[in-house]
Amino acid sequence: MYALVDANSFYASAEKVFDPAIRQRPVVVLTNNDGCICALCENAKQLGVKKFGPYYKVKGLLARHNAVIRSSNYELYDYLSNKMMQVIGEYAPDQHVYSIDECFLHFDTWQPEAGWKAHAAAIQQAVWQQLRLPVGVGIAATPTLAKVASFAGKRLGDQNGIAVLDSPQKVEEVLRAMHVQDVWGVGKRIAARLENQGIHSAWELANSCPKALRKQFSVELERTVRELNGVTCIQWDAERANKKQIYSTRAFGHPVTMQQALRESLCWHAEKVAEKLRRQGSKASLLTLFTHANPFANTRQYHKAVQHRFAQPTNDTRALVEAASRASVDLFKAGILLHKCGVGAIEIVDTEQEQTDMFAQLTHNPKLMQCMDAINTRYGSQTIGAAAKGIHPDWKMKREYLSPQYTTNWQHLPKIAC
Amino acid sequence: MLQIIPVAAQAGISGFESPAAEYKQLALDLDELLIEHPNATFIGQAKGDSMTGVGIFDGDLLIVDRAAAATSLDVIVANLNGSFVCKLYDRNSQVLLSPGLDHQPYALGEGDIFEIEGIVVRSVRMHRYVRWLSQCMR
Repeated sequence: MYALVDANSFYASAEKVFDPAIRQRPVVVLTNNDGCICALCENAKQLGVKKFGPYYKVKGLLARHNAVIRSSNYELYDYLSNKMMQVIGEYAPDQHVYSIDECFLHFDTWQPEAGWKAHAAAIQQAVWQQLRLPVGVGIAATPTLAKVASFAGKRLGDQNGIAVLDSPQKVEEVLRAMHVQDVWGVGKRIAARLENQGIHSAWELANSCPKALRKQFSVELERTVRELNGVTCIQWDAERANKKQIYSTRAFGHPVTMQQALRESLCWHAEKVAEKLRRQGSKASLLTLFTHANPFANTRQYHKAVQHRFAQPTNDTRALVEAASRASVDLFKAGILLHKCGVGAIEIVDTEQEQTDMFAQLTHNPKLMQCMDAINTRYGSQTIGAAAKGIHPDWKMKREYLSPQYTTNWQHLPKIAC
Repeated sequence: MLQIIPVAAQAGISGFESPAAEYKQLALDLDELLIEHPNATFIGQAKGDSMTGVGIFDGDLLIVDRAAAATSLDVIVANLNGSFVCKLYDRNSQVLLSPGLDHQPYALGEGDIFEIEGIVVRSVRMHRYVRWLSQCMR
């Protein structure tokens, strides 16, 4: 059996952990320079506010309902996520952390004495008791069905966040009540095409011919169908496939008009991309670097991108930062209010499968990079790095409504009245 | 912000190996002593003087364990009507005691929001100024 455990509105719930004053209030978390809504607690959802919408459109409504607005406090979420995964991990022999707020458990042939419902409730209870985070638990025979169960636990039945699909009857009942688009691995576009063929519910998808769907769509969809029928096809390694492109990009906190600020920001992104490349054991051979004005603003429009090909694929921070620093000269244009910039590694090779050029001058230093990554892992990200990104950047992301860093900064410890 | 990384100074001079090297053990770790359930524990800071009778003073660190077993009389941190408070909790009579000078017991009523956050399993006094804890932001 497999379980999917995921936190309810994780970012919004995390904001409530150390701030009891807001636990009963609607909480909305913003991202991207406080422009977009990325999480809503249950109370906020009931106001009719939608996820991923622009904040300014619902600002008035939220203010009228005394909602709490927060910028994304990644330090806090990361800390709570790690703790949560550790607590959950104690309930199964095998755990796969899928994202910041959800993980799969694989029980294999093990069975809890008190039954699956009780086991699911124990997980929910433990996470709540130890961290004050609400989670849902879905248990079924395959990862995809565990996702289905998780959906059922939240949207169907008694909605206490727990569902166990341990018989064909229960699986059928839920799949019949579920729209095909809500199946894990079926996107909006695929769902639209499936609907054209008369496949509307998850149950109809489960009863389609997997081979035909493979021909028409992809091998992934074939796997989804097989998983809905109780045959495990998803392997964690396959799920963790390396990214084929790696981007780091963000809007500036306020418009940038100086080349120095653009350069610092590009170098900051280059450093992030280099770090991500090393984490997945890849090197970049082609970088794209870009900046543009705000396309939605009534100011002069501008968009420029340059590419940089490395003589030899690299993931050395210094090489990427150097490329970014040079690119800033070409990308900058005086008189433009720059809104956003970014760096992307668009051609990537695996370090293991790399072909080296015997005449190439190796500029990278893997040991130095390893050492740098180790220091940054231990003492916090960006403890050391390229000075080119600046020390007191004034282009940084806007996080106006940031809550304290309760768990990562001594000065922000939660205060307790005595 | 400049961060200082503490690294033991080494001169790189090697001579005879210390005969004690074989007996090297891991250094004592305060976390091990103070924190029993790492996933369920958080640190807070005491504000106020209502708990001086049990040795908790303004500015002390409170180590709060959400997984510790409860007894009939515990020093707890609770959410009382939307604020974190630290009190001595008499479970049987549902009263929050403040063992400081001149503080009255608080009997929990029906209108109160009351959630126990955890049990204060240790508290830490700072007898001297600690740079890390100064400059409270809020």
